[in-house]
Amino acid sequence: MNPFNRVWWRPPVDDEVDEELSFHLEMRTRELIAAGMDPAAARGEAERRLGDLGRMRNTLHALGAKRNHHMARTQYLGELRQDLVFTARQLIKNPGFTAVAVLTLALGIGATTAIFSAVYAVVLQPLPLQDPSRLMLVGEVWEGRPQVMSVGNYVDTDAAVPDFEHGLAAFNYANYNLADETAPERVVGARVTANYFDVMGVRPVLGRTFTADEDRPGNDRVVVLSHRLWTRRFGASESAVGRELRMNGAAYRIAGVMPKSFDLTADSEELWTPIAFTPAQRAMHDEHYLSVYGRLKPGVSRQQAQAKLDAVAMRLRHDFPKDDETVSFGTVPFVEQFVGDVRKRLLTLLAAVGLVLLIACGNVANLLLARGAARAREISVRTALGAGRGRIVRQLLTESVVLAFCAAGAGLLVARGAIVAVMAWSPNDVPRLDQAHIDPLALGFAIAVALVSSVLCGLAPALRLARRDVQLGLRDGGRGSTGGLRDRLRGGLIMAEVALSLLLLVGAGLLIRSAIALQRTNTGFEPHGVLSARVTLPETSFAEPARIHETLRRINEAAAGIPGVSSAAITSYAAMGNGGGSNGLVPEGREPIAANFINSTLRVITPGFFSTMGVPIVKGRNFNDGDRADGQRVMIISARLAAVAFPGQDPIGKRIGCCEPGPDALKVVIGVAGDIRSRGPAVAPKPEFYLPIAQTPDVVWNWFRTVYVVVRTTGDPAAIVKPLNAAVALVDRDLPLFDVRTMEQRLAGSLATARFNTLLLSLLGAIGLVLAATGIYGVIAYFVSQRTQEIGVRMALGATSGSVVRLILGQALRPVAIGAVVGVAAALGASRVLSSQLFGVSPTDPLTIAAVVATLIGVALLASAVPARRAAAVDPTRALQSE
Amino acid sequence: MTNTSPELLHGTLDALVLKTLAAGRRHGYGIARAIEDATEGVVDIEEGSLYPALYRMERKGWIEAEWGLSELGRRAKFYRLTPKGRRQLTAQTAEWTRFAAAISRVLITP
Repeated sequence: MNPFNRVWWRPPVDDEVDEELSFHLEMRTRELIAAGMDPAAARGEAERRLGDLGRMRNTLHALGAKRNHHMARTQYLGELRQDLVFTARQLIKNPGFTAVAVLTLALGIGATTAIFSAVYAVVLQPLPLQDPSRLMLVGEVWEGRPQVMSVGNYVDTDAAVPDFEHGLAAFNYANYNLADETAPERVVGARVTANYFDVMGVRPVLGRTFTADEDRPGNDRVVVLSHRLWTRRFGASESAVGRELRMNGAAYRIAGVMPKSFDLTADSEELWTPIAFTPAQRAMHDEHYLSVYGRLKPGVSRQQAQAKLDAVAMRLRHDFPKDDETVSFGTVPFVEQFVGDVRKRLLTLLAAVGLVLLIACGNVANLLLARGAARAREISVRTALGAGRGRIVRQLLTESVVLAFCAAGAGLLVARGAIVAVMAWSPNDVPRLDQAHIDPLALGFAIAVALVSSVLCGLAPALRLARRDVQLGLRDGGRGSTGGLRDRLRGGLIMAEVALSLLLLVGAGLLIRSAIALQRTNTGFEPHGVLSARVTLPETSFAEPARIHETLRRINEAAAGIPGVSSAAITSYAAMGNGGGSNGLVPEGREPIAANFINSTLRVITPGFFSTMGVPIVKGRNFNDGDRADGQRVMIISARLAAVAFPGQDPIGKRIGCCEPGPDALKVVIGVAGDIRSRGPAVAPKPEFYLPIAQTPDVVWNWFRTVYVVVRTTGDPAAIVKPLNAAVALVDRDLPLFDVRTMEQRLAGSLATARFNTLLLSLLGAIGLVLAATGIYGVIAYFVSQRTQEIGVRMALGATSGSVVRLILGQALRPVAIGAVVGVAAALGASRVLSSQLFGVSPTDPLTIAAVVATLIGVALLASAVPARRAAAVDPTRALQSE
Repeated sequence: MTNTSPELLHGTLDALVLKTLAAGRRHGYGIARAIEDATEGVVDIEEGSLYPALYRMERKGWIEAEWGLSELGRRAKFYRLTPKGRRQLTAQTAEWTRFAAAISRVLITP
C-alpha cells in the first residue's frame, strides 16, 4: 500500500457511507414502529425523510473522498514535519557524522555542479543567433572535414546553390592597426561579405550593417564595430556611428554597432569591414582561405544542400582542372565547428566528476550503514510501537535527503570556488568558458544531483534497517546482527569504490604519462632565451613589396643591434600558435597535378632564423646576402620534406616548383634544415620549407601581412621586451608589436590544454582515492568493533596477533581485489575515450594499469592496517567479559 | 435544500450540530433526534442535509469520526467535537446572537 496517502483507521468510503445510512434508516424505522406504524410503512417513511437515497449516496461518496484526501495530506505534512524535526535533532546530536557526511557529499555535488556549468556554458547553451541549428559552415573538404574555400569556389558555389537563405557569406580574419589621438592598438577584425550578418541572424543595436554596394572595391571604407570595441574605444557613445576611424592608415566610416551577445567569445573578432572582392579575386580558384557560412532555408535538409554542392563540385573539377582537380564540398553545423573538440574533453571531465560523486555517495552510504547499526535498537522500539516499515524508511530517507540538501548548499560554495579556479587555470582555447557561473540552472542541477545522491546513498541502508526483525533488534540489544565483512552490502560498497577510483586513476595515470612524454619530446628548436613578437604591415601603407622588404630589413637590423641580443631574424612564422601558411610543392620532373603536390609549411625568413631559433642546417648551406631579389631562386627544405620529395637521393641542387607562376617558380634546394615540431610537441613534424625574404614572391604578401620578429638573448628574454618595442617604434611608430612572448611561453601554451586536463583528472583521481581509502577504513574499523568478542575467543583459543591481523586483512582485501578486477575491466573498455588526448602511451598501457592497481591495493592495505592492529591488541579476557 | 435560504440553513445547521456534539459523542441519527428533541419539534431538520454537513465539517476538522457500538450493539459511526470545532461553536453562537438581535430590533420595534 502506498504509505503516502494511507489513512489506516478508515474503512473504504463506499462501505462507510452505506453502513452509516443503513444504520440511520434502521434506527428511524425502529422509532416509527415504536410510535405505532406498521413495519413496511415505517421503512417507507424513513426513506422518504432521507430524500433521494441514490443522490445522497453519491454526494456523500464525493465528500468522503475529498475529506480523505485532505486528511491524508494533512497527516503526511504533519509526519514530514515530525521527520524533519527529528532529523535535525539527530544530525545536531552527531556533529562529527553530520560534518563528514555533508562535506563528502558537498565535494561530489560541488565538483559535478562546477563541471556541469562549464559544459552548459560551452556546449549546451544555445548560441545567441537566430535559429542556430540551420547555420552551417560550408567548405572544401580537406582531411575529412569541410574547411576553408577559395574565393572563386565561393563565388561559383554561392551562385549555383539556392538552398541557403540570404546566400552564402564569406569571412576572413584581418588584423587592423587602429590609430587616432590615442596610442596605436592592434585589433583582430574580419572582412566579410555584405550578407554576413543576415546569414548569422543578428541585427546591429545601433546604425546599420553594410550594403551590397559597399561590398565593392573602392567603396569599402566602412566598418561595423563589435560591442566590446565600441565600449572600449568609444565609451559606448551613440555618437560613434557616422564618425571616422583610422585603420591601417586609412579612414573608415563607422556604420553600426553589433549587440553584446555577438561577442561570441572573449577573444572573437572586434570589427568587420566589407570583403569587397576584386574581379581578379572572384576568378581565382586557388588560394584557399575563406570561411564560408550558410543558413539552410526552412525545410531544406543538409542532404538536399549536399546534393547541389556535389553537383557544383563536379562542374568546378571539370572547369578548373588545375586548381579544383579534387575539390569537394561539405557542411558542418556552425555550433559543432564553434565548440570543436572541447565538447568531448568536457564530457569526459563530467563523467570523471560523476565517478567522484558516486564514490562520495558510497562513503556516505557506508556512514549511514554504520550509524544505522548503532540505531538498530531505536528503530526496533519504534517498529514495536507500531510504526510501519514504510514509515521507518521514510524517516531514514528524510535524513539522507536533508543531508544531501545541506551538502548541496555547501556544494554550491565548492562549485563557485571550483569555477573560479577552473577559469583561472584553464587554457584559453575553450570558447565561452568565461560564461560559466552559478545560475538558477546550476542551482537546479545541484538540487537534482542532491536528490539523486540522497536516494543512492540512503535507500539501501534505510531498507536494510527497516527490514530488521523487531524481536531480534530488541533481544540482542542493538548489537548489529549483520555486522562484519561477510556483509554483502558493505563488501559491495568497497568493491564499487575501488572499481570507480581505479577507473579515475587509470585515466589520470595515462594523462600523466602523456604529459611526461610530451615534456621529453625534442621539438627541433631551442626555445630557451628566445623572445618573439608579431607585427602587421597593413596593405594601405605597405602596398609595394619593396617597401615591405626595406621595412623588415630595418626592423631586423634594429632588433639585432639591441644590447643583450646575440642574433635576430624576421620570419613569416615562428612555431607554436598562429600564423604561417602552406603550399603544394612539386619536385621538378613530376607532373603538376594535385596528386603530386606535397603540402608543406612555408616560412619566409631572414638568414638569422636558424641561429636564432637554434635549428641546425644538417646539409648544404644557409641563405646569405648573395641570395638577392634578382639572383637565382633558392630554398631550404626540412629533413622531412627531403625524405618525401627525394627519397634516397641527395636533395641539394634539386629543383622544386612552388608558390608562383612563371620561370621563378622553380627553386634550387641549397640546404636541408632539421625538423621542427611546429604545431606542438604532440604533433609529428610536417614537411616544411624556407624562402629568403629578399626573394619572396609578391603574391605571398596577399596571403599574409603579419610576420614574427625573433631574437636570441644572452640573458633574460623578458628584459628585451621594452627595448624591442622601442627599436621597432624607431623604424615606424605606426607599427605596434603584439603577441610578445618568449618561445618557452609559446611552447608551454601549446601544452596548456594537455596540462590542464592532466591536472584536473589527477586531482579528481586523488579525491577518489582518498574517499575510497576512507571508505575502506570505515568498513574495516566497523568490522573490527563488531567482532571484538569473536577475536577475543580466537585469541583465548590460541590465535596469535599475527594471525588475527592476517584474518582482518584477508577479509578486507577480498572486496578490494574484486573491485580492482572490475575496475581494470572497466578501464580497458573506457580509456579509449581519452585516446585523442594521449601521447606516446596506449590507452591500455599495462604499466599505468599495474601502477594504479598497486597504488590502490597499497592504500587499501594501509587503510585496513590501522583497525587490524587494533584487533590484534584485543585483550581476550576483557573482550569476553564485555558481553 | 431548495426552499430555504441555504446560507441561513447551513450556518444554523452547523451550529446546531456542533452544539449537540458539545455534550458528547453521537451518531448521525442521534444528532438528528437530539436536535428534534431540543427544539421540541420546531426545527425538524432536513435529514438530506445533515449527512453532507457532517462530512464537510469533518473535512474542516471541526468534528472527527470513529467507529463504535451503538446502544443496541450495532456498529455505528460516532462523531465528536474537536478543539477546533469547539472554537467554531463559540464563534457561531456569538454570530447567531448578533444576527438574531439585529433581526429582532427590526421586527419587534413598533
